[in-house]
Amino acid sequence: MNMSRLKKIEYRPISVREALVEIKDLSELMIDLAYSSALFNSKELAEEVVDLGEQVDTLVYLLDMSAMLAARDAEEAESLSGVLKVGSAVDKISDAAVAMASIVLRGIDAPPLVQEAFKLIDEQLSRIEVAQESVLIGRKLSDLELAAMIGVDVIALRRNKTWIIDLEKEQVKGRDILIARGALYGLERLRNIAEGKTKELE
Amino acid sequence: MDEQFRKIVKHFVELKDTSEIMLDLAYSALLLNSKELAEEVIRLEDQVDVIHRDFQLLSLSCDLLAENTEDRLGLIEMGEVTERIADAAAEIAEVVLRGLEPHPVLRMVIRGAEETVVRATVPPNSSLIGKTLKQARIPEQTGMWILVIRRGDAWMRPASTMMLQAGDILLASGYAEGREDFWGLVGEERRRRRR
Repeated sequence: MNMSRLKKIEYRPISVREALVEIKDLSELMIDLAYSSALFNSKELAEEVVDLGEQVDTLVYLLDMSAMLAARDAEEAESLSGVLKVGSAVDKISDAAVAMASIVLRGIDAPPLVQEAFKLIDEQLSRIEVAQESVLIGRKLSDLELAAMIGVDVIALRRNKTWIIDLEKEQVKGRDILIARGALYGLERLRNIAEGKTKELE
Repeated sequence: MDEQFRKIVKHFVELKDTSEIMLDLAYSALLLNSKELAEEVIRLEDQVDVIHRDFQLLSLSCDLLAENTEDRLGLIEMGEVTERIADAAAEIAEVVLRGLEPHPVLRMVIRGAEETVVRATVPPNSSLIGKTLKQARIPEQTGMWILVIRRGDAWMRPASTMMLQAGDILLASGYAEGREDFWGLVGEERRRRRR
C-alpha cells in the first residue's frame, strides 16, 4: 500500500454508540459484498469492499477517541475497554472482507470455490435486475420491508455503473441491479417481483 | 467435479458456517453476558482451527491446481478469511470471559435497544417436535427469529427444512415482548420462573 495515500485522521464528534454501530454494520455489509464479489466475479464490487475498509479504519480511530473522552473514572474505563475490544475485533472482520476482495482483485481463480460453496448453503446471494414494469419502481427499499415480508435483504444496488450501498432512502429505478441475500425461496419471489412477473408485493 | 476439489469446497462451507455461527454466538454472549455461550465460541474456535488445517493441507495437495500456484495461494487465503472471522468472534467472546461488565452501548449496538436474545430447550412434550422450522412458524407467531440451534454437541444455523427434536436448544432474537410467546410456543416450562 502506498503510505502517502492513507487518509489523515482528525477528531470529529461522534458518539461511541454511533461509531460502533457504523463499524459493525459496515463490516457485516462488507462480508456479504466480498462474498458477492467472488460469487459474481466482480472486481467493481471488490473495490467497493476495499473502499469501505478504509471507512471502517477511520471510524475505529474515531471510536477510540470518543471512548477516551467518555471515560470519567476507572469503572467506566474498564467497561469502555470492553467496547474498544469489540470495536477492534469487528475491525478484523472488515480486514478479512478486504482480504477476500483483494483475492478477487488479483484475478485469482477463487470464485469457483465460492460458487461451488454457495450451492451447498442455505443463505444465498443473488443478482436481480429490475424491469421497467416492476411494481418496485419508485418505491423506497426501506419502505418495502422485504426482510419481514419474504426474508430477503437487499444489500447493494448498481445503477449507471456505480454501486450504491446506502440504500435507506433510495428509490428503485428501472434497470437497477440489486444484490440480495436470503433463502432461495425468498430470492425467487423478489426476482419475480423485480422482473414484473408478480404484480403484487404481498 | 474433481473429488479433491469437492472436499475442499466442503471444508470451506464448514469454515464459513462455523465462523458465522461463532459470530452470532459471540454477540449473543455479549448481550446476555453469558460465559457459557462465550465458552462455546472458544470451543468452536478450536474446531475451526482443525478444519482450517485440513483445508490448508487439501489445498496444498490438490492436483487440479498443480500448474497454478497463484490460484492455490488464493484458495489458501480464502480459508484464512474465514479463520480471521472466527478469531474476531473469539475476541468478542473473550470480553465476556474476562468478566468485563458489558457496556450498555454494546446492547444497543448489537440488537437495537428493544431487542433481546433468549434461549429455550425443546421439551419432550413440545408441539414443535417433528415439525420443520418452516412449519413451526416461530417468527410469524412470536416475532422472534432463531439465531442458532444446538443439538447434542453441534451448533447449527437454522434451515427451513430442519426438523425439530426434543432437547434442541434454540437461541432466538427479537423484541423483548415476544419472549413469553416464544417460551410458550416451544413449551418450555421454565418460562414462568423467568418472568
